[in-house]
Amino acid sequence: MSRTTLLLVALGTAALATLASCGGGPDTAPLRVYRHSLDEAPTSLDPVHAATVYSNYVIRATYDTLYAYEYLARPYELEPNLAAAMPEISPDGLVYTIPIKQGVRFVDDDAFPHGKGRELTAQDVIYSIERHFDPANRSEGQWLWRDRIVGLDDWGTSGANYDADVAGLRALDSHTLRIELTRPYPQLPHTLAIGFAAIVPREAVEHYGPEIGIHPVGSGPYKVESFDTAKAVLSANRAFRQESVDIRAEGYDESLHAFTHVAAIDGRAPPFLDGIEIHFIPDATSRMNSFEKGNEIQFTELRNEQADAVLASRNPPALLPAFAQRYDLSTGLEAGFLYLTFNFDFPEIGRNEDPERAARNHALRCAMIKGFDWKARNDTFYFGLGRVFPGVIPPVVPEFDPQLSMTSVELDVEGARKLLADAGWTAENLPELVYADTGTGNHQQMYEQFRGFMERIGYPPEKIVWKPYPTFGDLQAAWKQSQLPLVFHSWSLDFPDAENALQLFYSPNRSPGSNDSNYSNPAYDRLYEQSSVMPPSPERTAIYHRMNQMLIDDCVAISGIARTRILLWHKNVIAYPDREILGGFFLKYVDLAR
Amino acid sequence: MHYALRKLAGAVTLVLGVTFVSFLFMVWFAPDPTYKLLGKNPSAAQVEQTRELLCLDCPFPVRYLRYLGELSTFDFGNSWSSGERVSRLLARTMPVSLALLAPGFVLGNALGLLLAMVAAHWRGRWLDRLIMACAVAGMSVSFVIALIAFQVVFSSSYGLDLFPVRGWDVHDFGDYLRYVTVPTLATIFVTLGYNTRFYRAVLVEELGRDHVRTARAFGASTPEVFLRNVLPNAAIPIVTRLLFSIPLVVIGGSLLIESYFGIPGIGKATYEAIGAGDQPVLKAVVGLTPVLFVVALLLADLFSHALDPRVELR
Repeated sequence: MSRTTLLLVALGTAALATLASCGGGPDTAPLRVYRHSLDEAPTSLDPVHAATVYSNYVIRATYDTLYAYEYLARPYELEPNLAAAMPEISPDGLVYTIPIKQGVRFVDDDAFPHGKGRELTAQDVIYSIERHFDPANRSEGQWLWRDRIVGLDDWGTSGANYDADVAGLRALDSHTLRIELTRPYPQLPHTLAIGFAAIVPREAVEHYGPEIGIHPVGSGPYKVESFDTAKAVLSANRAFRQESVDIRAEGYDESLHAFTHVAAIDGRAPPFLDGIEIHFIPDATSRMNSFEKGNEIQFTELRNEQADAVLASRNPPALLPAFAQRYDLSTGLEAGFLYLTFNFDFPEIGRNEDPERAARNHALRCAMIKGFDWKARNDTFYFGLGRVFPGVIPPVVPEFDPQLSMTSVELDVEGARKLLADAGWTAENLPELVYADTGTGNHQQMYEQFRGFMERIGYPPEKIVWKPYPTFGDLQAAWKQSQLPLVFHSWSLDFPDAENALQLFYSPNRSPGSNDSNYSNPAYDRLYEQSSVMPPSPERTAIYHRMNQMLIDDCVAISGIARTRILLWHKNVIAYPDREILGGFFLKYVDLAR
Repeated sequence: MHYALRKLAGAVTLVLGVTFVSFLFMVWFAPDPTYKLLGKNPSAAQVEQTRELLCLDCPFPVRYLRYLGELSTFDFGNSWSSGERVSRLLARTMPVSLALLAPGFVLGNALGLLLAMVAAHWRGRWLDRLIMACAVAGMSVSFVIALIAFQVVFSSSYGLDLFPVRGWDVHDFGDYLRYVTVPTLATIFVTLGYNTRFYRAVLVEELGRDHVRTARAFGASTPEVFLRNVLPNAAIPIVTRLLFSIPLVVIGGSLLIESYFGIPGIGKATYEAIGAGDQPVLKAVVGLTPVLFVVALLLADLFSHALDPRVELR
């Protein structure tokens, strides 16, 4: 290309840029708008589909839930949100009485007469829970209350008539809710804090029909102006109830939170901004380019491959000086974990009618666990900052046992080889196993690493067969139909209670439920049922620990690791971002420095 | 008119054939979407209810006839994922794709034609070789790499920093230019090689014909030869190519551009529908594509006849 041509191209581009800049844009907007980013988009904003972190981000900012998590307290602590107080619980643990705040109004919307939002009542809470049991809604959150609330399951199977009463859900008056349970459910308040429990007015659902999924009508601090899979634009709900933030009550700790300047919101009532934009940017490079631009997104989560370009040190994570001047950084363990479970429906590795083969399968699983190199996995894919722990009770929950032996997550190649040899396994008779995941480069690398681990203990690499699926939905369908012998899984906790992880191995939850291992152990089930009705206590924690040990002893899963997330945000953002416990509850408190 | 009606009637068979095959592969043999739709902990009863609700257990003829009914009324119901009416989703996303891809499409073809004319005129000379070498080089660069490079060069804080990195926040013409320029440049860069090579081949063939040689022998200048003798005759393959590209632009959008730049067009919507097993959206896209192709086929025939009356409309 000649110099003249080059000059012409440059001049043309500059002219376009100048012309374009005349049109104004987000950087010239006078409104105070915080621009967040997420690595995926929610599919629906209907609370009955609030299954992902991504949908929870928008739903929690636009809808109200009865309870919420304290902004800064870790471990996570519940606090009243729309409820006026924590629930009053009957001595038998079966009846919850929940007072609801007066004067809370839904946002103005065409769904209401004359477009004016009306006051939220206990009946709205009942309606919102009932929707999960209406088959027409295909709820993804029904499991939270399935077989728990008196009469609710029957209400759903007998026609889901919203004008009919459900015995276990009653409005004692316009602002008092009574929930009657079939058996004690100490996690109930937690379930009333997540996006599935967001409160929807019936008029809006009837007005918008299925399109309530793109047109939320809530009573939260923000309302949705537009939503598509590229971006959600929220504007402040100026009619949001005026409740001043008590930063100490939200768990503020000077030593931990001073750098975020969140003390600046103390005594003020959210929402603090004119709006929030949430940009859904799957591509990490594009996200980082936008983040560094300065006038686009103000938050990003660092990917492993970006670490060396941004961090001066990985452990502890510290930014390079050029980045440290412009951005704040926080790290935290995820509220969840990654694990690889064996599918017990496969007789070649799981349950087997032949006791001798069952014992050999047990030895095989245990050998594979011993051969798994968690350190290498952590270093290769998770900055080396993930926390490896034994069993399935992750470090983020209060029931985590720091004293538990680490033997089950320590590499022991010789021990694995000996186990295989003692059980009569040879390269010739080891079963062929399919390792499946979505067919991304990252996942294929994980597979290759896994195959390498297994080769070291004598498992022929050609017997670990890679099966890529085009989408996560396809992979999930295979899990749910119990078609795969190995299931590599991540589990995000719905609430900070080990029960949410331990239910993954409860046999009534087998496929298509959340027990993708299809593990079935009557002793484990009994303990689960015993603990599931107990309020938090040392006794319950002891049972949790016994269950965890059972899973370790039975070699049910190669587990686990809780990843450390590295979050970056611009220094003018006053926030303590957190995407855990289904994410997004911090958005209510975000402010920008003036 | 008689021809058009006859052609449209014949097109029904074509549409039925194409929709049958696409329905078979995109919907009937597609992975069961029930589990994706119900999340992580459905009960077996819930799975059954949902399959019944969405007619996923219905026999093939029932589902296919339903699909044809939807296609004939252009009413595909609501997206299974977001709940949005499919017609509204198409009306929202198709104009975005059109606005995004039209400048690159028009400029890419115009520039391609221009370069092809230059190359064809100097066929075998160094300029022809240079243009063709650049065309091949451009074709060899992956679209993804081109997108990343253009974004870094024109938009990022490490480059010229002239345009937004991504997004589509268009309220006026200035916004439009801000957001469309970099994707357009990337599109032109990637498609220019293909266009130039195609147009050059067409033009070289025309330049070798007897009437062109005769025109030159009578002293016609190069611009006259191109305008009077070459381009009118080359118009048929060129117009056909352009018309056949339009359905892809309108319905297909550009998955890569839209995904990478975060632009809510039809390509991104289709990709997400595939990932989510959102069959109402997929059925709409799969159904409308052959319909648009049939229209393009018809228009191509009519244009060909208009440009060269020797082309019969039978």
